[in-house]
Amino acid sequence: MNQHNLAIGFARLSDCAVLTVAKERGLFEKYNLNVTLKRYKSWAAMRDGLANKVIDAANMLAPMVVASAAGISPYPEIFTSSFAFNLNGNAITVSNALFQSMQHISPDTMLRRPLSAHGLKHVVDVRKATGQPKLVFAHVYHYSMHAYILKYWLASAGIDPDQDVELVVIPPSQMVDSLRAGQIDGYCVGEPWNNTAVLAGLGHTLITSSEIWSGHIEKVLAVRHSWANQHEDIHLALIKALLEAAVWVDSPNNRLTAAQMIASAEYVDAPLDEIVSSLTGKNRQTGGNLRQDMPDFNVFHRYAANFPWISQAKWILTQMVRWGQLTDDVEFDAAASSAFQPEIYRKAAAELNIAAPTINEKVEGAQEHAWVLKEATQPIAMGANQFIDGRVFNPAEINSYLNGFSNSSASRASEASKTDIEVQLN
Amino acid sequence: MTSHSKQIDQAIANKGQQDSLAAAPLRVLLIDDLPERAALVEQGLSDAAIVHTANQVHGRALLDLIAEIQPDVIIVDCYSPGRDSIESLRTVAQNNPKPIVMFVEEENPSGFQQAIDAGVSAYVVDGLTPKRVKPVIDVAIARFKVMDGLRTELKKTKDDLAARKVIEKAKGMLMHKRGMTEDEAFAAMRTMSQERGSPMKDIAENVISILGLLEG
Repeated sequence: MNQHNLAIGFARLSDCAVLTVAKERGLFEKYNLNVTLKRYKSWAAMRDGLANKVIDAANMLAPMVVASAAGISPYPEIFTSSFAFNLNGNAITVSNALFQSMQHISPDTMLRRPLSAHGLKHVVDVRKATGQPKLVFAHVYHYSMHAYILKYWLASAGIDPDQDVELVVIPPSQMVDSLRAGQIDGYCVGEPWNNTAVLAGLGHTLITSSEIWSGHIEKVLAVRHSWANQHEDIHLALIKALLEAAVWVDSPNNRLTAAQMIASAEYVDAPLDEIVSSLTGKNRQTGGNLRQDMPDFNVFHRYAANFPWISQAKWILTQMVRWGQLTDDVEFDAAASSAFQPEIYRKAAAELNIAAPTINEKVEGAQEHAWVLKEATQPIAMGANQFIDGRVFNPAEINSYLNGFSNSSASRASEASKTDIEVQLN
Repeated sequence: MTSHSKQIDQAIANKGQQDSLAAAPLRVLLIDDLPERAALVEQGLSDAAIVHTANQVHGRALLDLIAEIQPDVIIVDCYSPGRDSIESLRTVAQNNPKPIVMFVEEENPSGFQQAIDAGVSAYVVDGLTPKRVKPVIDVAIARFKVMDGLRTELKKTKDDLAARKVIEKAKGMLMHKRGMTEDEAFAAMRTMSQERGSPMKDIAENVISILGLLEG
């Protein structure tokens, strides 16, 4: 049988594990795919490469695909995904100086786990009152879970991410240098770039993304709609190879081997010591000075992790509206189902006899404990799914969910004059 | 640490002033980690521009540099990690985008036409000589101005249409729920708009939201 040549883009992050393992363990060959992996240092460059057919698929930020589907990226309605690489895996790290001032100004809030941003809010208030410059936080891209998770955490403690702090974009591999140089006070990034700062004594990890929203989608296999339509079989074979790799990576026994594979020069190119805890979830820092085992720090297959939930695409859309990237007249259903196409995933899973959900949406944030998904080809064990502030996102009630956020770019603009007009009308 | 956005606002405010200095040399920011190519560009522009080279300047430092020198055009390697930072700047400061010229070494560069449609002003493929640099940049700036004009016009048309829809809806609600005539409804909103100095669309949105709430 002829092999199909494919080029796939990835970035220097430990969530390239599934892609790496598929390559290193020969799973692509098993499905007659001859895959070349191409490493990118910039999300914009990866996106341009995918749109312009330099690569056929990419290990891409889930919100970049959603942005394209919603028509707000430079390549409107070009990208889609039928496979999620992983859940969780990011964290928020701050400089030693900022951590110390949080401890100093707000010692009580620093004892809570997971660590809320209320301590940070006190620091922000004190800085404002004493005329000090705004704190600077970095994330990796304006359409990224890192941006939305960071803003969610800040806003849940009453910090307005657009006004009370300064947000900048810095590529993942440069976060640690920027922190070291004192150019930023903190960041939200994937691994190993939190652990690297902690091990180097440059910063403290305050909270992991799985503590802000447990079970959030992270990277997806992005492809072009046109490519997926023309190459249904290759797309399916690719997803099957990746699914097999994901099952393998997710097994705790294989995590150390996977860490060794991705640490090498052609993938993440970082010391194994820095990478290992992001894959094993062992001995991870959270809360600024606590180290603990977090088995769900990175989830690669269990909990239906590879299934592209339409409800999660819709949550991403709500945050785009919340922070002024999209207007609320966006067609949520159309955009979400253009971004994520679960039917293709189901087909691949069925051919491998892997259980798949039979529904496309679920209520997000409503599961405090592990639970069982019964709307599936076989029941699937699921992990907790919770937001740090206890909010619940029901994709059938998007408007009321959006109205529930008092701090959003949209509400800020109109709130001021509304009261005024109310008086006049009544 | 200074705020980029503030500096950008300042730059927009100064724009008129800058326009009058038409004879001022072109300010170019060159972000390229390949020293040979960077040298070539500098050579090609030596008489016509002030070239700031930002090799190994990344992240926030790069944004500070852009805010400081306010380049007329940014030349960047298509694979530079600085691209994400620059893009975010464009998203935040939509009023003040810069023409961008990108270097690319690809097997199928023709595909990059799409990137040009998407807002990159020029993709420069291999074979760059000092002589070619200036014309490429002149074309990029000219193309950017045309595209930017079209974009602004399109945005205005879209905004106008959206505003009209909202105002119509608010008018309908005032007629239906407050028993006003069409003229009265419109006049009421226009008065509110004038008194507050805020656009009709904002007034209409608030009317809809308030009347909708009372209903619910």
